[in-house]
Amino acid sequence: MTATAAGEPLLEVEDLRVRLRTPRGPASVVNGLSYSVRRGETVAVVGESGSGKSVSVLALLGLLPARVATVTGAARLDGEDLLGMSPERLRQVRGPGVGMVFQDPMTSLNPVLTIGRQLVEGIRAHGEVSKAEARERAAGLLTEVGLPDPERALDRYPHELSGGMRQRVVIAIALSNSPSLLIADEATTALDVTVQAQILDLVEKLRTDHGTGVIWITHDLGVVAGIADRVLVMYGGRCVEDGTVDDVLERPAHPYTRGLLGALPDLATADEGELATIPGTPPAPTDLPTGCVFWPRCPVRGDARCETEQPPLQVVGAGVTKGLPHRAATWCGEGGAR
Amino acid sequence: MVVLAGVSVIVFALVHLVPGDPIRLALGTRFDQATYDALRARSGLDQPLVEQFFGWFGRALGGDLGVSFRSGETVTSLIAERLPATLTLAFASILVALLIAVPLGTISALRPRSFVDRVATVLSQIGISVPEFWMAIVLILVFAGTLGWLPSGGYVPLTEDPGAWAQRLLLPAVVTGVVSGSVITRFVRSSVLEALGADHVRTAQAKGLPQRQVFTWHVLRNALLPLVTVTGVQLAYLLSGVVVVEIVFSWPGLGQLALQAVQARDYPVLQGAILLFAVVFLLINLVVDLLYTAIDPRIRR
Repeated sequence: MTATAAGEPLLEVEDLRVRLRTPRGPASVVNGLSYSVRRGETVAVVGESGSGKSVSVLALLGLLPARVATVTGAARLDGEDLLGMSPERLRQVRGPGVGMVFQDPMTSLNPVLTIGRQLVEGIRAHGEVSKAEARERAAGLLTEVGLPDPERALDRYPHELSGGMRQRVVIAIALSNSPSLLIADEATTALDVTVQAQILDLVEKLRTDHGTGVIWITHDLGVVAGIADRVLVMYGGRCVEDGTVDDVLERPAHPYTRGLLGALPDLATADEGELATIPGTPPAPTDLPTGCVFWPRCPVRGDARCETEQPPLQVVGAGVTKGLPHRAATWCGEGGAR
Repeated sequence: MVVLAGVSVIVFALVHLVPGDPIRLALGTRFDQATYDALRARSGLDQPLVEQFFGWFGRALGGDLGVSFRSGETVTSLIAERLPATLTLAFASILVALLIAVPLGTISALRPRSFVDRVATVLSQIGISVPEFWMAIVLILVFAGTLGWLPSGGYVPLTEDPGAWAQRLLLPAVVTGVVSGSVITRFVRSSVLEALGADHVRTAQAKGLPQRQVFTWHVLRNALLPLVTVTGVQLAYLLSGVVVVEIVFSWPGLGQLALQAVQARDYPVLQGAILLFAVVFLLINLVVDLLYTAIDPRIRR
């Protein structure tokens, strides 16, 4: 996978913060997240459950309930401010600007409407398209995502399709308005590996053919190695490390990233021993530690600043690969204090 | 049909278990043994209970529910006489109930814990807990007494005088409608709230549908199923006669008929009325089931 670094920035996120009102008090779910995605680039966002991955992308599209969520910071899509957008403009961006694939194919489709209807209404919400024309396009999309017998599938209800089929429908919906940015939130987690491979191929094709930017949220590092140009590792609502796939996966600088990679089963050495785990649990967003978010679980903490001062995201290791910096937020120093 | 046969057995048994002798009651102070025996023989009450049942059940299958002990009229004609009034009141009430419940429940669900929601919650609690007869009397005092806008009761068939029909229908329909509406409001609120939180609503928003379309097709459409269920239950209740309201408004419905039959131990009328309620209940359940399959494709097959 070569990094297509030449693309211009499509999405720029700066200091994104999300606070949620919860029964257990305010929760800081995303805490100053900054990143960018270029055209034709795939950025993988990895991290444990509760690290703020999903919330950070939902916040971009205003899909968090306004009553409980406060979103601050800046996010620009093609230079246009997403967070301050009028509701009507935001509606227009959802679909043609950003397509979103949700995690659970069993619940993300409306059970009482046909597949065709759910595709057609999305197409017709963005531009004057006749019903027949939209239906034709819907059938085409279903063919593209590899659904057999698309004409018949249009008149079926979600419960008549398997999980894998439904997820392809959800993906078809996300692609129905040729979005310039595709956000996939654990899109293939529920699918078996062969279907997953097909979907990944499809996304890869979109990216090269249409220059679609992709944010791929996952905790499957195998998928990351397969499709991403860059990786962003999230922990406690912060980006703790980012860089090219090679830099992050081969030369992880943050102790958390190293822990994640260590927890991965390795076929070559699988014959003996247990998987390494990261001791402890992720921090509760209602009660984040001061200093480095990872210090309570960190195996190599030692620097006095770990518990008091939050480490900034700094260039580490080999530094810049093909114009893409490798950065980590840790006090562990160059290459890690191992 | 099996259900109806079962219901018939139970109804028959219960009715005859009630202490009290209809003939003795009818004769009152003019009691003498000879008349008593003659009447007993004529009404068939001297037969063994099992025989009485099969006789009644056989005739009931043929549409003959017997003759009232009290008035001598056939039970079918008595019921037919009362049915229009009951149907009118039941459907008018359910209309009032839905007109209150759907908007109020929806608004409450859209703004949970807001002022409107709290007011709606309090009002529906009051609606559920205030006795119907009290509400009926207050409305009569205000609208028929003090203001003098509406008559205090009675029933005029629609075909005779539509204006008078509507005037007399309004107050009782509001009373029963408010009670049913209060129950339904709670259901609408919770089912809309649940539908709002469903994942597919987010999918609908994410594809850039206008808010109104999201709400109509991905929230309300999905909240319809519980609404149909509870409306069916309420309608069945209303159709089996709302005795108290009928009495306060002198509304000649089936509830009153059944009550009078109980008081007079008028077995044929009572049996006929209860059998009718059972049929109504079954019919409504059938309609609700049919609506289910129309609303939710997952139930079809």
